This record gives sequence, structure tokens and C-alpha cells, in this order.
Amino acid sequence: MNKKEIATNKLKSLGTSIIEDVTKNKVPNIQVPSRGTSNIVFDEQKRHYVLGDRYGKRSMGNVKQIKKIGQMVYMANFCKDLVQREKTATLRELYYVSEGWDVEFGDQQESNIIGEDLEVTLGMTREDLGLMPEEDGASVYGNITLQEDDIEINALRSGKSGYTISPTIDDVKFLDHDVKRVIAVETMGMFHRMVQEEAYKKFDTLIVGLKGQAARATRRFLKRVNEELKLPVYICNDGDPWGFHIAMVIISGSAKLAHVNHQLATPNAKFLGVTASDIINYDLPTDPLKDIDVLRLKELLKDPRYRDEAWKTEIKKMLKIGKKAEQQSFSKYGLEYVVDTYFPEKLESMEN
Amino acid sequence: MARQAGELFEEFQELTASEFFRKNKQMLGFSGKIRSLTIVFHELITNSFDAAEEAGILPIIKIDLQRVDKDHYILKHIDNGPGIPEDFVTRVFCTMFAGSKFRNIQSRGQQGLGCSGCVLLSQMTTGKPAKIISGYKENGKLKGVQMTLKMDVKTNQGLILDKKEVEVTETGVCIELQFKDVSYSLSEQGAFEYIRRTMIANPHAKITFRDPTGHKYIFNRATEIIPPLPKEVLPHPRGVTADDLIFMAKHTDKRRFRSLLTSSLSRMSTKRVNEIEEMTGIDLNKRPKDMKWDEAEKIVELFAKMDFMAPPTSGLIPIGSDQIEKGLIEILKPEFVTATTRKPVTYKGGVAFIIEAAIAYGGQAGRVVGEQRKAEIMRFANRVPLTFDQGSCAITESLKSIDWKRYGIKDLENAPVTVFVNIVSTNVPYLSTGKQSVAPEPEILHEVRQSSMKVARKMQKYLRAKKAAKEEEMRSKIFETYVPVILREAANLAGTSVPEYEEVLAKVTRRAKAELLGETLDE
Repeated sequence: MNKKEIATNKLKSLGTSIIEDVTKNKVPNIQVPSRGTSNIVFDEQKRHYVLGDRYGKRSMGNVKQIKKIGQMVYMANFCKDLVQREKTATLRELYYVSEGWDVEFGDQQESNIIGEDLEVTLGMTREDLGLMPEEDGASVYGNITLQEDDIEINALRSGKSGYTISPTIDDVKFLDHDVKRVIAVETMGMFHRMVQEEAYKKFDTLIVGLKGQAARATRRFLKRVNEELKLPVYICNDGDPWGFHIAMVIISGSAKLAHVNHQLATPNAKFLGVTASDIINYDLPTDPLKDIDVLRLKELLKDPRYRDEAWKTEIKKMLKIGKKAEQQSFSKYGLEYVVDTYFPEKLESMEN
Repeated sequence: MARQAGELFEEFQELTASEFFRKNKQMLGFSGKIRSLTIVFHELITNSFDAAEEAGILPIIKIDLQRVDKDHYILKHIDNGPGIPEDFVTRVFCTMFAGSKFRNIQSRGQQGLGCSGCVLLSQMTTGKPAKIISGYKENGKLKGVQMTLKMDVKTNQGLILDKKEVEVTETGVCIELQFKDVSYSLSEQGAFEYIRRTMIANPHAKITFRDPTGHKYIFNRATEIIPPLPKEVLPHPRGVTADDLIFMAKHTDKRRFRSLLTSSLSRMSTKRVNEIEEMTGIDLNKRPKDMKWDEAEKIVELFAKMDFMAPPTSGLIPIGSDQIEKGLIEILKPEFVTATTRKPVTYKGGVAFIIEAAIAYGGQAGRVVGEQRKAEIMRFANRVPLTFDQGSCAITESLKSIDWKRYGIKDLENAPVTVFVNIVSTNVPYLSTGKQSVAPEPEILHEVRQSSMKVARKMQKYLRAKKAAKEEEMRSKIFETYVPVILREAANLAGTSVPEYEEVLAKVTRRAKAELLGETLDE
């Protein structure tokens, strides 16, 4: 079965279970897996967050729940239509479409939550259901050829900003490539530096500009290149708790999206830097840690995703030196330094 | 150089009651422009009510208030009472302390100052005489007399400026007075509110009022029942002083002190008198006039220690919960109303009183402040609204001590409720001469609290039922709205047709109702 059929069947089953209950004169109810913090657990084997087995019951006989059932069923119908017509809609569009429904949403927040309910209940991502995020994904530069619908795209010939990962990344086919690895960087500043210094040639790599916290589409892209093309993924961010965490969400997923982490997390991805050790070894220009940075670092120490010794050592080291550094701080040694010296040294130590 | 006593005493003079009050008009309640006018309304209405009721007539009063100038009004007050015989007109309107209320009786009027006080105020502020028309029956014949009167304050007597016989169609009194330095106000203390409250506590009356703008308000009667006349009751031993005893002794026609006690005081048996004689060693067989002050004092002290039956309560005539509810419904058109009348009890061990409380919710209950209706407390003593000195009154104090949250009112200030409390007694313990606030006797506080909590409980029950009904309606509406929609969409989703769902709908609606009532239904 293809994705479209799976999605259609799952959506249909929601309707079928309600109709069957009514035929048996039973009051229908829907079981929605709980997304409360107590039901989000870290799966050691899968190396990302998953949902536990607790769920809430939505009964059509309950005044408070009946409206939500109505919203879910309406939304499921809307999604079924999207999937069958191979169209997508953003959450915002969905919210406006719902204005014409017999059940309404108070605000977009409410419709977003029902969207998540539908995702967890059916065990599918919203992209599978035809619902797309607003924002585009990251920029990709390097020799990879993709097919979006009938158009072939080479990420080396898509301009200096590269190929922009579309929200419908799951429908994109990978046709060809001749790279050996993927390097994702936090800022577009670093992305352009690497393009200018021809890092894609030097390291046979794809360059991915994350633009901060990675969008869902970006994370899908990284997971797919890692798993389908067997390419190692390296992440290079600022040397501070926030940079660490951008990498960690790519690697182990977020708690909020525990129900779809199996489709988003790339547990094989590796954090390349900037580490606290890099700050010391390369004698980088630094800023002192702020109170909020210290607080965040201490939180990370308690987070099960940072259970690796390597992570713990780096976090503790940063707390000890009390300093942080940005990616661009390598320019202290000249603009080319990061590509000429830092990356080769780091890649070598990580790949051997 | 020092003056001799004789010189000083040349200036010694005697004030008549009228002269005294001319100099001390605030003692009649005439202080402040708004309050002065309210007191005038109070005195005239009260007198009309008392007169009509005594004659067995359902009171009808017409009041016409015209503005001549700023703070200058002409008041015309017409009642349908029995009227005043010609010879008494000047005494009623021009003599202070003339009246028929100096007895131990439950009454609205209190000092016999009322009408003459109003005439005094009119004369003091405008110099204008009072115009009176009295229609009354004499030997079964209807007679009418019109007089123009002035008060001679030096002699505390009336001066007739003009008098003539007139044709009248019915009995009753019409009085026309002019006032300056008074002000008509719609505030809680103003004359209009006074009439409105009076109507609630006197639902058997009808008042027509034309205000200075010419707007005519008609307050119709809500009941045809004339309140029974209160009976005079003998004072209770606990309620008398040594001075009272000496006064009684002087004015009695009894020949022995013993018989004076039994005939002038309530709950005073021969057995009790013998006990007094024994305990004090005073010979009670002596003539009342021989009673000495210290003997009287001794007896009064003993009264405090003896056990007496509670005073008789036959003299107390409450409005009655039925009548209060009718009055409140007529004036406030509330959504919900309930009233209660407590059993008579006593304060200070010997003064009987009854507390009546009522609560009205919704409709025009509460007072309008801005856009919102806020709670209002209506205090009454023997059916007379107490509109001033609310803060110091025992009724207010007691109501504020109640935890209104327990009765479904989040905050008393901001709820659309009117709380009504009436104290009925032959001797309401006022805090001051203005007679606008009740003294915080512990028993009074207790009774007000108990009665108010009782009506509040009933209101809470109503509010709960109302809320439950509203929720039930809302709930079944939710199901009736959503179930068909959900099933249509679900069928569409499943690609089937919509099944019969009447039974499921009935099931969920029933279940929701059971949930609401706190019951559990089996699946």
C-alpha cells in the first residue's frame, strides 16, 4: 500500500468505528493517546522520545468532549479529501476552511490541537494527512538531484542559496547524488561562507542551512538522506546550550512531537561543534555565559537525551569555563579558516 | 463689676416646644437639603397611613411636588383618611407634642412632631403659611373646611389667617406647604426612593406622585388587606425604670401599690408581687403616692433578677411574609422573591420585637449603578423606611456578617438583589434622635441574621434550580446540534450512509441529565 492509501484507510476507519457503534446502539467514543508529560517517555532503544500507552477517551455522550469529536471528524473528512486529491493545506488555511463547518474553532490554537489529536489517534504525521507547516525548510547546497512532481532539481544549480526544502518533502524523490556526507549548520551566514569556500567540493558534502531550530520538513529531509542514502549527517551550531539543543532535536526528536518522532528523529546524526573543547582548543573569541544559559545547561544535564558521556563532559566543561562562542568566531583566524582548518580536523577526528 | 443673681435672671426665659425646635430643627431630622425633604414626605405619609388605618380605610395618597426655583418647592399632599375636625386642625398642624401616640404601642409616627414639624420648616424657610383643606364627617354629615395657618412659635399654637367652609366630595386632608433649602433627589436618600420603599412595606396603600418634572408615578396597591391595628400592651417589668414607676404611681387611680403593679405591668401576678414584698421588705399595701424614689429603685433592681414570662406579643403586628412578597413583586417585578416573619422575641430581657426579612432577585431588584445592578439593603422599622445612617445600623451590620458566597452570591455588593428587613416593636431601639438606625442589640443582630439566612437559602435553591435548568437546556441542545453533524460527517468519512441514531441520541441526552443531577446510569 502506498502512503495515500494508508492515510485514506486510517481516516476512513475513524468514521467507520463511530458508525458501527451507533448501529449497535452504543455511544461512540474515540481513544486519543495522551500527550501529557507523564505519557512522554524516552525510548532507549529507538533513541528518541515516544508516547507511552496511556490514552484519553472522548465520548459522544460527554458534553465537553462531543464538540471535539465533531471537530476531529470534520477535520478527518477535510484531510481525506486533501489526500485523495493530492493537495496540501496549511494549518492556517485549515483554520479558515473550518469557518464554514457546523462545528467551529475558537481560534487557530484550538484547530492546531485537534490536528495533533488526529495525528496521534491515527499514528500519522500531519504531512501524511495533507496538512503542511507554514514555513519552508532549510536550504541545501551540493550535488544532489531531486524530483518534485515532474521537475528535476539539482541543488548545485539552484542559485547561491541552494534548494529550499519544501514542506511536502515526503513526496520528493531522490534521483542521484555524488556526496559522501551532509553538514548542517545553524546560520545562513555559515552556509554562505561554506558555499563561497567551496566546502561542498572539498568535503564531498551537502551543505544544509538550518536557519535556527530545524523545521519539520528539514528534519524529515535529514532523516531521509541519512537512512535512504546512507549519508552520515553532521551538525555544526553555535557553541552554547541553544546550539546544542538544535542539534539534539534533530538527533533525538522533541518531547512535543513524541508521537511522530519515529519519522523525524535522526539518531545517527552527529554533533560536530562548536563544543566547549573547541572553544579551548581553538582559543575562540567568547562571551560569558548568561544566567539563562547556565540554567539551560543545567537542564540539559538532566535531560535523558544528553545521557552520553561525551555530551555530559562538554556541558560540564562549558559550565566550568563559563563561556560560549558563535560559529562565526573562527573568522578570528581569517574567513577561510573554518573551512580550511576547522572542518577538516573535526571531520577527521569523527570519521576515524 | 459683678452682676447680681437677680440681674442675671432677668434674662431667664422659658422656651416653648416650637421655639426650641425652631432653633434645633436638625432634631426633627431636618438637616441637609435632601434629607429635609425626605423627612417631610415621611411625616406626611406616615400620618396619612396611621389615620386611614385607624379609620379602617385603605390609604390613597396623592402627592404633587412642584419646583418654583432652585431648592424652592411647593408640596401638595392629599389623603383619603377620615379627615380632621375643624377644631383640631390647628392643634394637629401647629402644636408640637400634640397627638395620640404617647402610649406603649407599635406605631409609625413616634414623637407627635410630624405634621407640625413640617409646618414649622415651611414657615422658617419661606415665611409662607400652610394651606389646609380637611374633609370629615360630623354626625354622619360630610363637612369641609379650608384654612390658612401660621404657627405662633412663642405660644406653640396656630394662628388662623383665613378660614372658610368648602364643598368636599370625600373625607381626607389636603395640605399645601412651601419649602426652601430643600432638594428633590432620586438618590437612595431622596424622597422618590422613600416612596418606593414605603410602598414595599405598605402594599395595602396606593400612592400617586407627580415629580417636579411633571412625570406621574402611580404605585398601585398589591393587597386589599388593611393591617390590623396594634393593641396597646402593658409595659414589661424589665422594660421600666424607677422614674416610670413613680410616674405611674402619681397618675394611677389604684389605691394600693400592689394593685398598681399588677394592673400597670404585664406578667405581674399576685405571686410575683408577694415575692417582691418579701425580698424588698417594702410594704406594698401602701398608697401609690407614698412610694419613695429609693423604694422604686429597689423594686426595679429586683425586676432585673426575677424571672418573668416574656412580654406579650399581641401588640406586635408584622407585615407578614405574604404581604411583603406582594409588595416586593409589585414594586420590583423580581424574578424571584421570598419573605419570612420570625417569631417574637425580646431584647434587653423585656422588649418584644419581630424581625421580618425578604430577598428579591432579578427584575428591578437592586439599585442601578452605571450599567449594573448592585445589591441594595432596605431597612424598615414598623413599616417605615430607614434611609439614613445605614452604616451604623444593626440591620446592615448583621447582613454584612453573613457569608453570602454560601448562598450563591459571589459578592453581595454586585448582585442584583434587594434585601428587605423590617423590625416590628413597640419600642425600636434607635441609635440617635434621627431614628434612622437600629441599635446593635445582640438579639436583634441574631434575628436579622437568622431570618436573612433563611430567605437567602431559599434564593440559593432557586438560583441553583435556574442554573441547572439552563445547563440542562444547553446540554441537550449541544447533543441535538452535534450528534447529527458528527454522524453525517462520520458516515461521509466511512463512505456509508447515516444510520438510525434516535436511540443513541436519547441515550446521551439522558446520561447528560443524570450527570447533571449527580446520578449514575448503567451503560
